[in-house]
Amino acid sequence: MTQEQLIEELKKLLDEGKVRTDNDALQTFGKDWTKIHEPKPIAIVFPKSTEQVQAIVKFANEHNIGLVPSGGRTGLSAGAVATNGEIVVSFDYMNQILEFSGSDRTVRCQAGVVTEQLQNYAEEQGLYYPVDFASAGSSQLGGNISTNAGGIKVIRYGMSRDWVLGLKVVTGNGDILELNKDLEKNNTGYDIRHLFIGAEGTLGFITEATMKLTRQPTNLTVLVLGLADLDNTMNVLQTFQQKIDLTAYEFFSHQAMGHVLAHGDVPAPFEGEAPYYALLEFEAISDGVMDDAMALFEKCVEEGWVVDGVISQSETQAQNLWRLREGISESIAPHTPYKNDISVVVSKVPEFLQEIDAVVTEHYPDFEIIWFGHIGDGNLHLNILKPSDLPKEEFFEKCLQVNKWVFQIVEKYNGSVSAEHGVGLTKKDYLSYTRSPTEIEYMKGIKRVFDPKNIMNPGKVIDL
Amino acid sequence: MKVLVAVKRVIDYNVKARVKPDNTGVDLTNVKMAMNPFCEIAVEEAVRLKEKGVASEIVVVSIGPKVAQEQIRTSLALGADRGILIETDEEVQSLDAAKLLKAVFEKEQPNLVILGKQSIDSDNNQTGQMLAALTGMPQGTFASEVAVEGDKVNVTREIDGGLVTVALNTPAVITTDLRLNEPRYASLPNIMKAKKKPLELTSPADLGVELKPSLTTLKVEEPATRQAGIKVADVAELVDKLKNEAKVI
Repeated sequence: MTQEQLIEELKKLLDEGKVRTDNDALQTFGKDWTKIHEPKPIAIVFPKSTEQVQAIVKFANEHNIGLVPSGGRTGLSAGAVATNGEIVVSFDYMNQILEFSGSDRTVRCQAGVVTEQLQNYAEEQGLYYPVDFASAGSSQLGGNISTNAGGIKVIRYGMSRDWVLGLKVVTGNGDILELNKDLEKNNTGYDIRHLFIGAEGTLGFITEATMKLTRQPTNLTVLVLGLADLDNTMNVLQTFQQKIDLTAYEFFSHQAMGHVLAHGDVPAPFEGEAPYYALLEFEAISDGVMDDAMALFEKCVEEGWVVDGVISQSETQAQNLWRLREGISESIAPHTPYKNDISVVVSKVPEFLQEIDAVVTEHYPDFEIIWFGHIGDGNLHLNILKPSDLPKEEFFEKCLQVNKWVFQIVEKYNGSVSAEHGVGLTKKDYLSYTRSPTEIEYMKGIKRVFDPKNIMNPGKVIDL
Repeated sequence: MKVLVAVKRVIDYNVKARVKPDNTGVDLTNVKMAMNPFCEIAVEEAVRLKEKGVASEIVVVSIGPKVAQEQIRTSLALGADRGILIETDEEVQSLDAAKLLKAVFEKEQPNLVILGKQSIDSDNNQTGQMLAALTGMPQGTFASEVAVEGDKVNVTREIDGGLVTVALNTPAVITTDLRLNEPRYASLPNIMKAKKKPLELTSPADLGVELKPSLTTLKVEEPATRQAGIKVADVAELVDKLKNEAKVI
């Protein structure tokens, strides 16, 4: 069968106009935010129902064509990139919120619902969907679950995984499974739902999800503290956690903040400088909580950990303080940053960070290193900026060398080479720094059960 | 030079205001409150005058319920020296606010009174002007720049079509516009210090002012919701709709 005939057959499975092969669509839907790979899909399809997804999967099995899932395309690990003549399955038209239950505090959504859409919907119901990150306005729920997205509230609310009560999936075999039946308690053997969470579409595609909601936070208040030294981050975290449930604990270096301040109209938190900053967020439910926060701040100053600090007095100020942290990625983007997303257990963070910093600085003293991250979860974003006089190719080549050193240190500290961005294509070669060879064999075994013909997002996470 | 700054506690700028079901006003139960953004600018300007050595003392005054102390404490943390709360749970309209501020002005004898040009809840833009009229002080409204020179203060005002600078004899009233300055954050050490700064409680009765609302609110409504957009199939349909429905061509 020729490619044209294939496309014609494919069109019979979908609504009219929902198969696109124009170059514009192939380029747009064939990749995510990683712009390293050349997209080469043969077609983009836009199913509207689980049954259509099932038909596409069966078709792909029959004709031995790979399928690549596509959501908001904000991934940073090339998990949703089609480089090899695959069919891209976009969930853009499966964007309906299907059912809400106030007494269960659950909402059933199609996979293409945008994160912000879910957050706003929850708010309209007087509830809260707490998974949040910079790309919430574009990313889709199916992609969030498939990458087990984390973000800025993990310290209090956990990852996407913690909010999934039920899934409807189409496996690589073309079976439709309803996983966990939206139950909070269901101890009936293997929980297949959790295999699909974070699987990056390699076992099957998620078409619907039932998500848990929670109460809305009250009077979220933001502190930005200037830290005297990197080691202080953990002392400050522990001190505050003894009394207050933090909803966020982020950190960034002075260089990182410098880029944000230079980039836009965000005001500096205070006049003086500190080498590192911590951003804390909590619910100021009562005057008592505020008094506690003040007392804890005072203790941190007395100990010499904190040099200065500010507190938001209004929502606008809280948002502006958040921009110091959330604006980092955008402000360094013009410098072609080499990005890493690594994690270790919280207690090891300062030691781990200093070791990596030392290695990179020793070998590449000209590189500017920007550190920031969700330090309360042990998750660090290492960004190395390209010196303006260094050609891009040479820079990335040197970064590959940096990768090895970084991941060796990650391995030594029993950390992860991808804390929240996933594996996709970009971290596949480094999986063995975090997973043992035996473990990877088991992963392949699982893949073979659900997707024996290697149709679903082939070449991502692991090779069969 | 002594500076008096008036600040108002209002619904937080970022909170979506909801109308009470009986249409009598905006629902304030469990809603985040904050200092009126124009008042933040007024406080910041006073603090800058003090940092320049122009102002020697900053007194902050607010009118409202007991909890409005929070906004005075914030001002104290930002650099004001002492606070006065005129405590009342009644509705305070512009003229009454101006009368109360006049009483404070007479008691405190400041050289400069700085206010926000308007509060974002009632959007009246009246109190500063009324205060100037009641006290006979000159006024520089919608200030985007303030420069004190001896007994005079030059205020650059934002007006339609440009800027105008007026020279005022002190004591004078200044109301602030958005571009006057960018307010700083309250630092935690200063918040702690602010707890020890004096905050005087008084009342309209103590100041000899009887609150007499001169306006009655008939009804408060949500703005009309916008109609959802539609997609037209082709140019002909678009032209047809522009002609016959929108009637713009």
